[in-house]
Amino acid sequence: MIAETLIVDRGVSAGDAWVTVEPDSIRDALSGLKDEGYRLLVFLSCVDHLADASREWPVRYEIVYQLRNMETKEQLRVRAFVDGDPPHIDSVHDLFPPANWDERETYDMFGIVFNDHPDLTRILMPDDWVGHPLRRDYPVGGEVVEFSEEHERWQTPPEKA
Amino acid sequence: MADATGKSVNTEGIAIEKTGQTGAFGGELLTVNFGPHHPSTHGVLRLIVDLDGEQVRRVVPVIGYLHTGIEKQMEALRWQQGVVVTDRHDYLSPPINNLAYALAVEKLMGVEVPPRANALRVIMSELTRLSSHLVWMGTSGLELGAMSMLMYCFRERDTIMDLNEEISGFRMHTSYIRPGGVYADATPRFLELLDKFCREMPGHIDEYEALLTNNPIWRARTIGIGMLSAEDAKVLGASGPMLRGSGVAWDLRRAIPYSGYENYDFEVATSDMCDCYGRYLVRIKEMREAVKILRQALDKLPDGPINVDDRKMLPPPREELETSMEAVIHHFKLFTEGYSVPPGDVYVAVESGRGENGCYVVSDGTHKPRRVKFRAASFVNLQALERMALNQMLADMIAIIGTADTVMGDVDR
Repeated sequence: MIAETLIVDRGVSAGDAWVTVEPDSIRDALSGLKDEGYRLLVFLSCVDHLADASREWPVRYEIVYQLRNMETKEQLRVRAFVDGDPPHIDSVHDLFPPANWDERETYDMFGIVFNDHPDLTRILMPDDWVGHPLRRDYPVGGEVVEFSEEHERWQTPPEKA
Repeated sequence: MADATGKSVNTEGIAIEKTGQTGAFGGELLTVNFGPHHPSTHGVLRLIVDLDGEQVRRVVPVIGYLHTGIEKQMEALRWQQGVVVTDRHDYLSPPINNLAYALAVEKLMGVEVPPRANALRVIMSELTRLSSHLVWMGTSGLELGAMSMLMYCFRERDTIMDLNEEISGFRMHTSYIRPGGVYADATPRFLELLDKFCREMPGHIDEYEALLTNNPIWRARTIGIGMLSAEDAKVLGASGPMLRGSGVAWDLRRAIPYSGYENYDFEVATSDMCDCYGRYLVRIKEMREAVKILRQALDKLPDGPINVDDRKMLPPPREELETSMEAVIHHFKLFTEGYSVPPGDVYVAVESGRGENGCYVVSDGTHKPRRVKFRAASFVNLQALERMALNQMLADMIAIIGTADTVMGDVDR
């Protein structure tokens, strides 16, 4: 296991082992785990815990790294909690190449800024999109549907409608 | 956008542009836009390619044209409604996506489905794998000059569609596998059709092989094209036939078994050729193995229920509603409020036709998911495209995109 000083918390959720680390030491923790054999980053994503009353959350955003050791078939989930406007965390694209696009997607969907990422731009949404759709406070609905019956109504500015 | 060297790239409105750099053959490097509506990009993949003569010097995939906000939609739907959405991200293998989601929800709730449900899930997964490989082989053949492949492959795919229709009522987006079990039991006609299919399919695979395996054009267009070494494939996180075609015997059905795959006798198909032809051989072998699994599942299909016996999770049978007040209450609660899942998070990965399709589910204890993340095999495999296509001919890139078998619905979700 990586140095105990890096681990803040650990546990098992529905059979999946996980550890929590400080966001500042995420690169140390992941490179340590990589040296131990967790060579595959299965995915990287974010969970927005805004107004989740089921458990106590330290801060709003949780970055999740799912690692796998392909020799022993062990899996480990690494969590880091970040906050701020925008939230920052170090990029791991050089440790795990698949993280490159995953980090871009997480930036696109949650607005998490990955420090030192070579190309942190939107990947799924159009370049001129405003907002980060997978945040829990992102408004749902009200999107203009082009060529629909409501399209003309939508095109009229609200003050004139 | 920036390329690997950090240089900024303008992706807006590129048609064809001179870069001013001199290429190896004395000409000038050209930046060419490829897609997103090019017929060989399997959907709406856009590539910005730097060409030196006809050789590819740089590939920048631009994705997102098929983004439908599936992960956001999942958050607005109740747990049992989400199944319908999972059908639609990797639209060539709906039951396998259902399975990943269903397994994740079941793991969070701590329920175990009966053996007959597991066997039916395996049957549907393998049929889907076959139909997904058939679409791949048909379209790839079409792109690389074997026009008749499409006709042969879609003929058998239609038989699989008929099977889907017989068991679930739908031909493509079946929503057949659900948290807690499966939608309906196999009908006698389904078992009969499946038995016939298992008997006929090996002969059909021989037909495909007769058309392609020793076909000089097919071999010329695939052997030595799109090399991806085993080390590269592992580092880039590739999975499925992309990884096994590079000689790494990693199959989630064997490595981390689910739904009782440990009880079936099958081989993990690999090839050491590391090129497009190797990936083709892997898929042919996988189709043969899928028929083997189908035959085993059919022969030892256990009897018994097809759903967990939990009235809080699945609606009561129709006949109970007429006699039992409790059943009516359960029915009403399930279809108005739904069921809630204990707080927690879980990741479940299954092997689809394209590789590791996983589902990461976070519950906050309510009747809707807090977050559902789909780990899409195509999304990760597509990142290996530049490694495979570098310094190849532009025409070979068609073969490389083809054998990577990315489904853009899965990439963009």
